[in-house]
Amino acid sequence: MADSLSPQCTSLKQEYDSCFNVWFEEYLEPSLATNATEAQRTAHYQRKAEEFQTRCGKVYAEYQNCIQNAVKQKGIEPLLQQAREEHPLREPLPPSAPPSKDSK
Amino acid sequence: MKFFSQSYSYDDPWPIVTLAFFLRYPNPYASHVLSCDVVSRSVTPSGSLMTTRLILKRGAMPRWFPKGIVSRAESWVVEETEVDPVGRTVRCITRNLDHVKVMQVEETVVFRSAPEGKTLQHTEARVRSGFGWGLTRRIENHGLNKFKANLQRSREGVSLVVQLLRQSRLHPM
Repeated sequence: MADSLSPQCTSLKQEYDSCFNVWFEEYLEPSLATNATEAQRTAHYQRKAEEFQTRCGKVYAEYQNCIQNAVKQKGIEPLLQQAREEHPLREPLPPSAPPSKDSK
Repeated sequence: MKFFSQSYSYDDPWPIVTLAFFLRYPNPYASHVLSCDVVSRSVTPSGSLMTTRLILKRGAMPRWFPKGIVSRAESWVVEETEVDPVGRTVRCITRNLDHVKVMQVEETVVFRSAPEGKTLQHTEARVRSGFGWGLTRRIENHGLNKFKANLQRSREGVSLVVQLLRQSRLHPM
């Protein structure tokens, strides 16, 4: 696991990462039938999100608290804030293959 | 602006490649990564996992670059990722936060599940410099060449983590 940007947050980060990784591995496995309805899917992932909160929520909150302070101290908060406002993932991905573009 | 795109196929299924992509730091092919932090993470109502990571990378300026302009050859990079477990797609956009006038590199990587347990990776890069002084083109070309050279290494890093994950699954703790 990579270090945190602040040495003080590294142990929290690693504890959080370990928790997340176990949850993430389960989250990625296809546990829903391919013909599951929209409602079943929504319920399933809502359960997943709750599971994450139960298992890793506490350490996530502590880690975030530590990292937000470190980001402020290092003076990168404004840059990060701006980048987050321009969030490039707002536009949904086209459902099929990516459109082929001229790679000039 | 310079544009580059490339596709690649992994012989491993989407869940393990996605996990490896998230776990890729640290690895011996990414010794330039100094730190990596999650600054935001949530699951959308449709089930997608949205993650923002803040990464500090070490770089080196080319020898021909004017001295004294970039005081430290380190760069903050923000990585936004969307994991869609229903559509079995990962979309990740990475940009540098500082030194953007000298050079901004935006990389988009998409991983899609493909038939026969394979995973397709499509990478696009946009390199833009607003530096001027007759150096814009040279900087853009340099950035693009560095990107191409590093792409292979970054894939090797992901492949290595995939291998490690497979081994650990064969020998469960």
